[in-house]
Amino acid sequence: MKKILLLLVLSVGSLFAQLKGDMEVPYISYEIKMGHGFDTVQANCLMCHSFGYILNQGPQSKEFWNKKIDKMIDEFKAPITKEDHKIIADYLFKHYGNGKLK
Amino acid sequence: MKRREFLKTSIAASAAVLGSTTLSAGETHQPIDNRKVAKMAFPEKRPMITYSDRPPLLESPRSTFTRGITENDEFFVRWHMPDIPTHIDLDSFKIKINGMVKRELEISVKELKNDFEQVEVTAVVQCGGNSRSAFTPIPGGIQWGSGAMGCAKWKGVRLSDLLERAGLQKGAQWIGFNGAEKAAYYKTPNFVRELELTELDDHVIVAYEMNGEDLPYLNGFPLRLIIPGYYSDSWVKMLNNITVTDKYKSLFFMDKAYRVPDNATESEDPQHLVKKTKPITHMNVKSVIGYPENGMKLYHNSHVVVRGVAFDGGHGIEKVLISADGGKTWEKAELKRHGRYAYTEFRYAYKPTEYGKVTFMAKAVNYLGDEQPFAKDIKWNRGGYKYNGIDEVTVEVI
Repeated sequence: MKKILLLLVLSVGSLFAQLKGDMEVPYISYEIKMGHGFDTVQANCLMCHSFGYILNQGPQSKEFWNKKIDKMIDEFKAPITKEDHKIIADYLFKHYGNGKLK
Repeated sequence: MKRREFLKTSIAASAAVLGSTTLSAGETHQPIDNRKVAKMAFPEKRPMITYSDRPPLLESPRSTFTRGITENDEFFVRWHMPDIPTHIDLDSFKIKINGMVKRELEISVKELKNDFEQVEVTAVVQCGGNSRSAFTPIPGGIQWGSGAMGCAKWKGVRLSDLLERAGLQKGAQWIGFNGAEKAAYYKTPNFVRELELTELDDHVIVAYEMNGEDLPYLNGFPLRLIIPGYYSDSWVKMLNNITVTDKYKSLFFMDKAYRVPDNATESEDPQHLVKKTKPITHMNVKSVIGYPENGMKLYHNSHVVVRGVAFDGGHGIEKVLISADGGKTWEKAELKRHGRYAYTEFRYAYKPTEYGKVTFMAKAVNYLGDEQPFAKDIKWNRGGYKYNGIDEVTVEVI
């Protein structure tokens, strides 16, 4: 019962979040698919953005995901190695792909 | 249970089921609607459609488009960089104006409020990718519904007054705007926007207030650039530096992102992308229905008032037409205007005299005679930018 009450209080508190003092952006644990390459995705992608940013791009082609990773390296200067590039692209296409190579 | 754990467990991921393989390449349709509002809220916000926590990406639900002014705690949020300062000390925060100026300035928010003429403008701010989920194939980027836009009363000082105080050197031509958000890696370019001096007019302001309150943190506290009529990629948040230059510097967000094909229809074929592109700047004419919403049930012979908002890049909305028969016939809605850059509210009284499904469409026309095309007639572009198809909502009369 205690637990339920606490939950209620907390959810009321979070419905109209007010800013007092420092800002704290909540952390969201997005449900992302597990599988080969997940660790590499976590290590390389989470540095700059949440999984939500990946999930909400919609299902995409292999070429799309490859180009996205290129962009992260070329434009945003993310230190992603060639090996990791491939692992990440394979993972993203397998779980968030549209089945098309191009 | 700790707060953080609570947040982790209570949030249903907002990842939506997207896309359909039955649609062919280069098509557009109605943007995805009615995504779920999250169960939790970000600071100073009520729960919104939540795409990402870092950077924060929040969309307003359809119901916000029944009002001419979007409330601060329901106003959409879009950041680019993950590292947003979590604390701003108003006593020490200063906006710097430097580069090709006669006097370099450092102005505190207090000085901004006391030493300059205070002005106010009511203006719509809209993400260039608003309604992106209408495009097939799905362009890269967040698959926004139509809620990446809002309208507020912005109060601040004219940018031209600040530049006049600093004094421009001969040859000054470009102005770069930088906010306080930072990337994770030192080498990542900042989110800088540059404007040519000729693009500025007295409506461009540096604002500290939104709808009579301090800017919400996530909407750019303490200062934000306001460029009425322009898409929001130009409205730099947490603005802390203005640099005047004689030459244009190459910038990722202007040179590679936020661009559309440089041709008459600003469109291209997914298989044959055009080479020449241009930045998105002025908004095109658009309207969104706020009420009723898709799937609602209305009583037979009841009094229904269809409501929504319309806007463009600053020419002003001349009329909004409503159709209740799939676009065959149109009737004028009643308008309530709030200024050339603001939402124009529209209302249309309707009495459902037949049972079953009814689809309402809203089409805005501006004073130039530009009008919204049907969703299917919008042409595709790779960034999924500038979608302005006629909005439609289907309800059931019972």
